[in-house]
Amino acid sequence: MNRIAEATLANGRKIPYVITDNPPRGGMKYTYFAPDRSYVVQFYNDPSKVDRNMTARLEAIIGRYNPTIPESKGGAVGGDEKLAKYFAERFCWPTDLVVAPEIGLVSPAYPKSFFFDEHASKFLELKGKDKKSNWFTSGNRRFLNKSELGDFRSMLQMSLLLSRSIRRLHQAGLAHSDLSNNNVLIDPKSGNCVVIDIDSLVVPGLFPPEVAGTRGYIAPEVLATMELDRNDPRRVVPGSMTDLHALAVLIYEYLFLRHPLMGPKIFSAESAEKDDFLGLGEMALFIEDPKDSSNRPASLKNTIKDVGPVLEKLFLRAFAEGLHDPPLRPSAMEWEQGLVKTWDMLHKCSNPDCEKKWFVLYDSADPVCPFCGQRIAEKNVVRFELYSEVRGHSGEWKKHSEMDIVNNTPLFKWHTHSNIFADEKADGTMQAYACCHNGEWFVINTHAEGMLSPQGNPVPKGQAIRISDGTVFRASSDPRGMVIKVRII
Amino acid sequence: MSEFTRRLPVYLLLDISGSMMGDPIEAVRNGVRALISELRSDPQALETAYLSVITFNSAARQVVPLTELMMFREPPLNAGGATAFGAALRLLAECIRAEVRKSTETQKGDWKPLVFILTDGAPTDEWRAAAAELRSTHPANIIACAAGANADTTILRELTDCVLLMNNLSAGDLSQFFAWVSSSVKMSSKSLDAKPGANIELPPPPQGFVIVP
Repeated sequence: MNRIAEATLANGRKIPYVITDNPPRGGMKYTYFAPDRSYVVQFYNDPSKVDRNMTARLEAIIGRYNPTIPESKGGAVGGDEKLAKYFAERFCWPTDLVVAPEIGLVSPAYPKSFFFDEHASKFLELKGKDKKSNWFTSGNRRFLNKSELGDFRSMLQMSLLLSRSIRRLHQAGLAHSDLSNNNVLIDPKSGNCVVIDIDSLVVPGLFPPEVAGTRGYIAPEVLATMELDRNDPRRVVPGSMTDLHALAVLIYEYLFLRHPLMGPKIFSAESAEKDDFLGLGEMALFIEDPKDSSNRPASLKNTIKDVGPVLEKLFLRAFAEGLHDPPLRPSAMEWEQGLVKTWDMLHKCSNPDCEKKWFVLYDSADPVCPFCGQRIAEKNVVRFELYSEVRGHSGEWKKHSEMDIVNNTPLFKWHTHSNIFADEKADGTMQAYACCHNGEWFVINTHAEGMLSPQGNPVPKGQAIRISDGTVFRASSDPRGMVIKVRII
Repeated sequence: MSEFTRRLPVYLLLDISGSMMGDPIEAVRNGVRALISELRSDPQALETAYLSVITFNSAARQVVPLTELMMFREPPLNAGGATAFGAALRLLAECIRAEVRKSTETQKGDWKPLVFILTDGAPTDEWRAAAAELRSTHPANIIACAAGANADTTILRELTDCVLLMNNLSAGDLSQFFAWVSSSVKMSSKSLDAKPGANIELPPPPQGFVIVP
């Protein structure tokens, strides 16, 4: 039977919540909802583990490390209203510490889009259940309606948003420490994701939480050393370095719908538990390892090569070089930047039945969708190669990235300036766009300052330049402005 | 979609002897139904957990063989008869031998099965040898729940160290028991924090349940 109870917050305020018989229970906490379900109140399964260290950590998380409220209101340093609003959509960040009836937390309820509605599945009653990522990245996909599944572009977008969220944590010195399919909810339909269970964050200078971790996401070095004594310096505890393993696993799962380490190789014939312990721990082996194919499934339809050289390199660093050598793993920022670059290479598949709908068009010599085999509909591949001037070496230009261009492809500030990055602070105003008219290509300047024509003449806003294969022009005459080289292949 | 997903076999051993007649057996039916629905809505459990039901009264019967959750059909459960606990344990051992994939040099085996036993009375057959064998060969992690005033926990203790006592056989308590089974299965399908061979971690038992030391 349900009844209303009251929780007292650290600031003395009292808020109501509904006590239910079998509240949803995770590894650490159980959850009650607000009468209007706008927030949740969570208590710990084992209140005896709540101590001064833990409440100090929770206070820091809710206050001075909180990126979801502006600095002016007691949140993290450097956050204004706009940034706070941005991250409030990316994290389900706890808002208050509960002090009575016992220590607990108040967090906002997840946005509606992270709960299934009644149209989610023909086979299962999923209405109201949260969208844990392995609904979408495992065999469970077959139970969901097609409209839930998103496409390759939405999966890439979620990978990018997740990388940004983790980068934001790491930038503040925080680590999630229990990043997993259960702690990131995803909505492939809209391409959004939200990081939850923020209370297990590792906070600089404070005692770390005791996290169990989740099978498949625990870093190999944590599994391999967990039998060592608590005080043994060789024992690895979760932190930002192990987050980077979990982040790479999640991105790989979003893009390939499979786990990067779970292959056919048998690591121990003794028991499933031992086999797993080794195969995800000290003997872990990437299923696409370039040197050792012993864990490679017989049928691997798509591989890391199919998502372009930028991501391919990052995956190799995460799962080949860095699997057992944590410092070699790509940082969250490298993932974020690599995913932005890859985003610019996305091409819409012309096959209306293609399940993935979008693919990374990296090979201009063979412009074919790797998922369905369809060749692009366009006559040519149009490429913008973006070059930035090497700092301190005037006149020396280095390739920054490439863009796949179709009619109406927009250029933003991060395409016209090498010092502007497509992050949460970036100005999303379109600066210019490419346009194909009667078989000829143009770049139309809408907002770019200081665009120059191939001849070096100013191109004012509202005017266009004609481009063809080999055209080189300056997107902005600012010192950090990019030079763009056009290739029509 | 991995073809290398290993299964978590879950066996329910349910006492349907005469003393379960009426409200208790109805509560068990509802509990099984709720368990299935709960597990089907957890993606990890749905992917890995396989479920079998063994009932026992005057005889033991596997009423549902080890089945993936989506294909699971609720068995008819009718109470009546004696408590052939020993026969149920022997049948359990047989089913595990036949149904659970072993780890070998060439095959990815299943996880160690989880077994939940619910019984409300004392065995009416010979059970000691079967219990001793299960204890020594340890083919599964067994959790036994003694329900109601007449349940004999000392017998269950001979079988496993993990014994719960539910003080009465009310519908509410039985429903809590099945909710706890569902949390336990979910937790086992996610966590891998214990070293191989160590005790499995289970969620805290529901209020009113006592762990028998």
